[in-house]
Formats: sequence, C-alpha cells, structure tokens
Amino acid sequence: MTARVLPVWWDDAADGPTNMAADELLADEAERHGGLVVRLYGWSTPTVSLGGFQRLADAEGCDAIAGLPIVRRPSGGGAIIHGTDLTYAAAVPKPHPWGSTPQALYDAMHAAMAATLAEFGIAARLHLPSAADPPADAFLCFSRRSPGDLVAAFPDDAGADASTTFGSKIMGSAQRRLGTAVLQHGSLLLETCTAVGPAARHHGLAEMARGGSWGVPEVAGRWLDRVAAALEIVRDSQPRSFREGREAAIEDRAARFRDPRWTGRR
Amino acid sequence: MAADMKFAKTHEWIRPEAGGLATVGISAYAVEALTDLVFMQLPAVGRKVKAGESIGEIESVKAVSDMYAPVSGEIVEVNTALPGQLETLGKDPYGAGWIVRIRPDDQAEMGTLLDQAAYDALVKS
Repeated sequence: MTARVLPVWWDDAADGPTNMAADELLADEAERHGGLVVRLYGWSTPTVSLGGFQRLADAEGCDAIAGLPIVRRPSGGGAIIHGTDLTYAAAVPKPHPWGSTPQALYDAMHAAMAATLAEFGIAARLHLPSAADPPADAFLCFSRRSPGDLVAAFPDDAGADASTTFGSKIMGSAQRRLGTAVLQHGSLLLETCTAVGPAARHHGLAEMARGGSWGVPEVAGRWLDRVAAALEIVRDSQPRSFREGREAAIEDRAARFRDPRWTGRR
Repeated sequence: MAADMKFAKTHEWIRPEAGGLATVGISAYAVEALTDLVFMQLPAVGRKVKAGESIGEIESVKAVSDMYAPVSGEIVEVNTALPGQLETLGKDPYGAGWIVRIRPDDQAEMGTLLDQAAYDALVKS
C-alpha cells in the first residue's frame, strides 16, 4: 500500500440506488488508488437503507418509517434513516492494514470521530459491550450496540447521568467485504429526523452540542484529517464530485438497487 | 486437516473427495475474523460457477462477506443444515462446517491454489 493521500469526494444529494451504485464503484476506486478512499454524501429525500440481509417485511411493518423510500445496501448492519445524517462510504483494498479484519476500519473511522467531537465539546467513545446492551439485531442501526460503535454522553429520557452513561449511539458503520476490497458504510447523526415517528428517532449532534458552535464541513474535515493522519498521509479533497464522469457506470449499477428483487431479496 | 487441502486467497478451502468431487468451506481464520455470524445464503445445487465467482454470502453482526468458488465447476451439494447452526463454522470449519460440494471442471485447477504453509504465511503477513 503506497498511497500517500486520502482522496475525499463531497457529493451532492442523490437517491438511494444512485448512492449505493456510486459506493460500489468507490470500492473499485480504492483498488486503483491502492489505499483508503472516502465519499461523503447526502440523500435527495429521507430514505431508509436496509442492511444486506434484513427482512423487507420488518421495514414494511415498522409504522415509524412508513412512506419513506427503501433501498437495500450491499453492506451489513441495521436499517438507517438518512436525511439528517452525514453518510460516508470508505473503501480500502483488503491488503491495506485496515482491510484485513472488519474491526480495524470500524475502529479507525470511529476513533477519529470521537477525537474530533471532543474538539467540539461532545464526549464520545467506542462502545464497550455490556450486559445491559440492547439487542445486536434490533431493526434500526441506532437502536443496536456492538463493539466499536461510537456512543456519546447525552442525558437520556430517563434522566441518567450524561457524564457517565455514553448512552446514545451517534455513529455506526457496516461493511461489505468483497473479494479484494472492503466497502464500509457509516452514518453520523446530525440531528433528530422528524420525518419518522418517535419510535425511530435518535438524538444527533445538534442536540448533544447544546448550542455549541459546530458545522458539518468543519466536523467532517477535521475527522478526515485525523483519519489521514493515523495513516501518516494527508487528506486530498477532490474538486469534483465522485459521480461526475461516472454517470453511465453509476446508472448501470443503480438498476440493480432499483430492482424490487434486490430490495425484497429477504 | 487433510494434506491435500488447498486454499484460495479469499479464504475458502477445498479438499478433493472420492468420485471426482471436492468439498469447499471457509478457513478458521476467516470465521474468526468475521465474528458473530448471523446469516448465510447458499447457492443452488446444479449451478455452474467459475473460479472466483461468488457462491454465497455470509453475514456477521456488522459485515456481509462474499464466499467465492476456489475452482470452476458445478455445485452438486450444499450443506443445508449450516445456515441454521452457524456456530458449526466456528467449532469445526474443516469438517461439519463444510459449505458446498463441487464437481470441478478440471481437477488440475486445485493445483493453482495455496497449500497450507502458503496460506498460513498469507494470513500472517
């Protein structure tokens, strides 16, 4: 692995199938680049992304997300409601130090975010398993806990001590481990999504920062600077979007993600 | 493990069997790296596959991984019990945790795969 920079693309909002198709191409790009690559992006409308093997019936039976478009990710993990989150895709070739085992890339991306959030006065850490954890197979990603999830201190509805509970999951990630590359999807909650019912709402940075000064470009930029620094390379923000120049290839791949047979595969 | 067991760089193992067949599974290293397996999708019997083609997927709590055919051939049997008892993969990855049996198009193709020593070196690198 000889890559000396971390290419980062900041893409405009797109629909679910377009985003998933672009992310698959990002995995190809990681192999060409020979190192970590990252794409940050938004969603043209609030959308539910299902984990690779989640049951579509579970999404259709969840009243809190009724009416939202659904796309199935190639990656694992639980369902995510996109719209008020910062979504990222990161990809590395498998021989990369962060590609050989699943936990390495999770921990690298999440630990860098924990350190970044501390700069903005938000206490967060990687989750340590405990007997009190909610089920690892809960339908919604942010209702699950697994080792390495980024959890933040927030006074929960029961009034627990914010300084000690770290009770709110604020960032989660999941992977697709391909033959020669790893694609990791992740989501940082920015604010509570009001497009869904109360049962599917989770706190985001806006609520945790308590009016403190922060902005998405600043948080994302410092986060990815830290990620790059951990690899002893530098962030290289790309002047164009990742999708630009790849429209035909993305549309070709997006057809699979629009196909009801893919969405309903389980 | 059988001395004639071979490995793909994508962590599948293959072992020749009587009657021109071969058994395929995934290595103990791969099972341990994935951790907490929750779901497995197997291929259909009768499917023709090329070496390197996906023959199924396995999901752990946070990752979906493809499983690849180590050689070209026809899937003649799948371990249908395995998705219901994924813990078997961790307990006995080279025995009861077998995944498919394949009829290789060319037995010699197995010779292009890694032997135990080369695979061990790969996962330690």
